[in-house]
Amino acid sequence: MGELFRDTYRYRELIWALALKELRVRYKRSVLGFLWALLNPALLMVVLTLVFGTIMRFSIDHYAVFLLSTLLPWTFFSQSLAYSVESIVGNGDLLKKVRIAQLVFPVAAVVSNIINFLLSLLPLMLLIALMRFPLHWTWVYLPVPMLGLFLFTLGTAFFFATINVFYRDVSHIVQILLSAWFYFSPVIYSLDFVSSKYRWLFRINPMLYVLNGFRLAVYYGMLPSLKSVGMSLACGIIALIVGFAVFRRYQNSFVYYV
Amino acid sequence: MAEDRCSVQFDDVVQRFRVIRERPDTLREFFARIRRQKATYHDFEALKHVTFRIAKGEMVGIIGRNGSGKSTILKVIAGVYAPSSGRVEVHGRIAPLIELGAGFHHELTGRENILLNGLLLGLSKRQVQEREERIVEFAELGDFIDSPIKQYSSGMYMRLAFAVATEVDPDVLLIDEILAVGDGGFRQKCFDRIRGFRAAGKTILYVSHDLGGIREFCDRVLLIHNGQLIEDGLPDFVTAQYEALLGQHVDSIVM
Repeated sequence: MGELFRDTYRYRELIWALALKELRVRYKRSVLGFLWALLNPALLMVVLTLVFGTIMRFSIDHYAVFLLSTLLPWTFFSQSLAYSVESIVGNGDLLKKVRIAQLVFPVAAVVSNIINFLLSLLPLMLLIALMRFPLHWTWVYLPVPMLGLFLFTLGTAFFFATINVFYRDVSHIVQILLSAWFYFSPVIYSLDFVSSKYRWLFRINPMLYVLNGFRLAVYYGMLPSLKSVGMSLACGIIALIVGFAVFRRYQNSFVYYV
Repeated sequence: MAEDRCSVQFDDVVQRFRVIRERPDTLREFFARIRRQKATYHDFEALKHVTFRIAKGEMVGIIGRNGSGKSTILKVIAGVYAPSSGRVEVHGRIAPLIELGAGFHHELTGRENILLNGLLLGLSKRQVQEREERIVEFAELGDFIDSPIKQYSSGMYMRLAFAVATEVDPDVLLIDEILAVGDGGFRQKCFDRIRGFRAAGKTILYVSHDLGGIREFCDRVLLIHNGQLIEDGLPDFVTAQYEALLGQHVDSIVM
């Protein structure tokens, strides 16, 4: 783990440049450029608000805010994975030519999505203001679930980026895994909708605690229980330790397989 | 005393690659292979017990047929491959000119690519910015510096890549074949820069098929054949050996 922090710090300029490169390339050749990082979630919110606010009426008040409070962190998680699973293979040419710490690629993929995620919170605030929904003071608590989310995402990113080097099927499996995982996570629904018989099945989902933290703080204006906070951070830390251990174990053979 | 004058040292280096026939790229192939219980790989030794040392400030050419292991030597020096056995020691900062512009991204501008490539080669952001002006000047990019490099001519692309790699100010410069491309003017500039490096006492390893260039520039030449170092000596002598080796090969084909 020491190696992870040391190298991340040592290569911080390179990681930052790679992350910005990813964003630049994503928004290049579009007239509005970087503005899309804000516009994309904003337009999604407009659609969601229209659909769930006027066309389909749910029993949940202000469903758009309810949904977005967990959809934005989820989108961050799934996009980070989609990017980072290919991050080693995609930079294979480079790894074969220059000696660089391999970890910069998955880290940069996650960092670029962190930037995107943080930007997407601005339109959410705007939407909340427009809908005259209260902007709860509990927003100040958000850095805690964010930390859990970022650690968990980074750990999973290391894990999948590593095995994708050896078996390219993994990038396809990740896509399917993500969509199954999405429906198993309380993003579009609340855990209250699940009959208590099956609830244990949802409790084993490590993303549950992080998502719970986001929803409570943004939508309900409440803080999660100490146990839930502890679980969300523990999931993140364990994922990072395991993911990075796997990555570290195999990183020196990447160059022979990319 | 002799130790710190040494720049690159190979001690009985073996580089083994696992050449996999029908590499199980996918899980389906992986399971199929388990069922068949058949080894689908063999080990290939790209370098077989190679030993040499290069003193600081030497310019050493490496010659040999395609696939003989020349580029593998450079990649081991660059740290891309860890040798399977033996010891490698390299002193000082290395700049690999193994393939120019490896880290370039076509959608980014010249300036953005200079930063990214400089960082990849181990410079800090400040060091890149200090060198930016010189790089732009050497590459003769003019106003193109802020255009995406996919709009560059191949000459501009090569000049930019060469300029970035050599501005890293390495102690050991690894050059692989790249000077074969580019027009006469560009080659002249590159050779001028290489002369500058030599004058500054830098160590240079130069892989090439251009025997004329090798004779002109190098102090010493290594001849690699099938992963073995078969000759190590003065340029005129070793290149003659190499030509003889090539002749032999041609003869055997004719016969």
